[in-house]
Amino acid sequence: MAEIIENLKNGIIKSNPVLILLLGLCPTLAVSTSIDNAFGMTAAVLFVLVSSNIIVSLIRNYTPQRVRIPVFIVIIATLVTIVDLTMQAFLPSLSKSLGIFIPLIVVNCIILGRAEAFASKNKVPNAIMDAVGMGIGFGIAITIISFLRQIFGTGNLAVFGNEIFNVPGLSENPMPIFILPMGAFLVISLLLATLRYSGVIKSG
Amino acid sequence: MTKSNLKKEIVPVLFLTFIVCISVIFLYATNSVTEEYIEDAKNDAVNAMLNEQFTEMDDYSYDENLDFYTVFLNDEIVGYAFIAVANGYGGPIELIVALESNFLQDDEVIIHGISVVSHSETPGLGEKIVEAAFSDQFNGINVDDVALTKDGGKIDAISGATISSSAVVDAVFNVVKEKAEIIRENFDLNTEEET
Amino acid sequence: MDNLFAIFISMALINNLVLSKFLGLCPFFGVSKKLSNAVSMGLAVIVVMTAASIVSWIIYFQILIPFGIDYMSTVVFILVIASLVQILELSIKRTNASLYNALGIYLPLITTNCAVLGITFINVRSDYNFIETIVSALGAGVGFTLVLAIMSGIRERLDLADVPESFRGIPVAFLVAMMLGICFIAFSGMV
Repeated sequence: MAEIIENLKNGIIKSNPVLILLLGLCPTLAVSTSIDNAFGMTAAVLFVLVSSNIIVSLIRNYTPQRVRIPVFIVIIATLVTIVDLTMQAFLPSLSKSLGIFIPLIVVNCIILGRAEAFASKNKVPNAIMDAVGMGIGFGIAITIISFLRQIFGTGNLAVFGNEIFNVPGLSENPMPIFILPMGAFLVISLLLATLRYSGVIKSG
Repeated sequence: MTKSNLKKEIVPVLFLTFIVCISVIFLYATNSVTEEYIEDAKNDAVNAMLNEQFTEMDDYSYDENLDFYTVFLNDEIVGYAFIAVANGYGGPIELIVALESNFLQDDEVIIHGISVVSHSETPGLGEKIVEAAFSDQFNGINVDDVALTKDGGKIDAISGATISSSAVVDAVFNVVKEKAEIIRENFDLNTEEET
Repeated sequence: MDNLFAIFISMALINNLVLSKFLGLCPFFGVSKKLSNAVSMGLAVIVVMTAASIVSWIIYFQILIPFGIDYMSTVVFILVIASLVQILELSIKRTNASLYNALGIYLPLITTNCAVLGITFINVRSDYNFIETIVSALGAGVGFTLVLAIMSGIRERLDLADVPESFRGIPVAFLVAMMLGICFIAFSGMV
């Protein structure tokens, strides 16, 4: 039981996939222009991550070593396509917002990385917890970045069309640089530096 | 090759093929379930786009060969619309260009209006093409006047976003010129056949 | 001809895969510490990108669409890329052992390079014809290599500079990427 909790905590803090392992940077920076996108992407990644970890763990004793990477890729690609089609059908505006980054979840290093490094070598319950932890860790990172970019870039926070709050002064004169690509680089750079400075992450 | 060697080579490939087959089955199933909904979602999107230009409409039809939409209200034609793609500053700008319903009869081609469907322009600058201040300039304009004021036309560019503005202007002008001709030709033929 | 030039410049500079589309970030920060590695990686990527774009274009427009199975595109494209990378790896191994040793684990990583899969999607979604697809892939690859090379040159120097502790390594690299991105915006005046 303790082991399972440990797997969970690992993904969120100690080995946070985005902030520590520096995996999955592409979608994190690209779609973090709004909180809606962050939530949508996290949900999609969580689904694929958990499902693929379960499947890879289930077949880990039958998968021949030589073809394991192509096998993982096919499994992940199939799950991603299922998510893609489902989103297009039932959440079309989110699908349009996230664009090519939904199919690009296939090459999100987090998912293939966990399948290869963990799920293929561990039992199903552990694999599930690892996936959930990593997924939540990813979600936290992308949400923080989206939050900062949306607040500074547009001056207000709106979740799924409902405005939560307006930052006075900022909403009349937002700083568009944060919504632009370079803003993403800026935010994550400052975020990482701050986390290191405050000792949450060790540098080096 | 010895029998066990053969087995070593073949088994992995068979396994992979098996996995691929399972995946194809799942994808086929998912596609069958979601196909309808995706179609509906697309139709809703088109409807919403057309509605922006023609606030009173209840139906539309799409001509696949000539790639244009005819918009109806109570079985009467209210107008026509095309989708145009402009080469914007940050990427393609998808536009809906709507024409008045009488352009077949008249010599002039009057634009009903334009709407920006999607774009990747710079927030605060090129993004202003979606604002009424810019796009309303196209309401009721003659296609021959569709050019930036600096080029002798009647459209004021967005200050600081000349590229975005001229991209939209060029795309609107080109698509209308091209399509209006084609549709007129086709409808002339049709009316001749009907009589 | 004008259009092809515009596509090339657009993919390489204005809509640079790394700096404005956020594709290919992992190798961008992972490989870019030594200039020679960066250039070799970049060349390999150009080759795979172009080959993958050609093959996936053919499969998409000649097989997937006519048979109405374009939902298979994600699976098919990534398998195409994985196979091409395998082939590239084997052929480098056989012809130039030292290059193979230098590139090491970076070759298989091209498979998970979002830039390569990304460009195949961009090409089919932009509805490019065959020639336009090749030009687009070449432009994207060249742009990627260019940025990778610039980045590694800068990082080689940064390693010797006095960077504050919290920023050392990756955070300052992101700041450099940001500044590169700002510079590259200037290119949009070209088309």
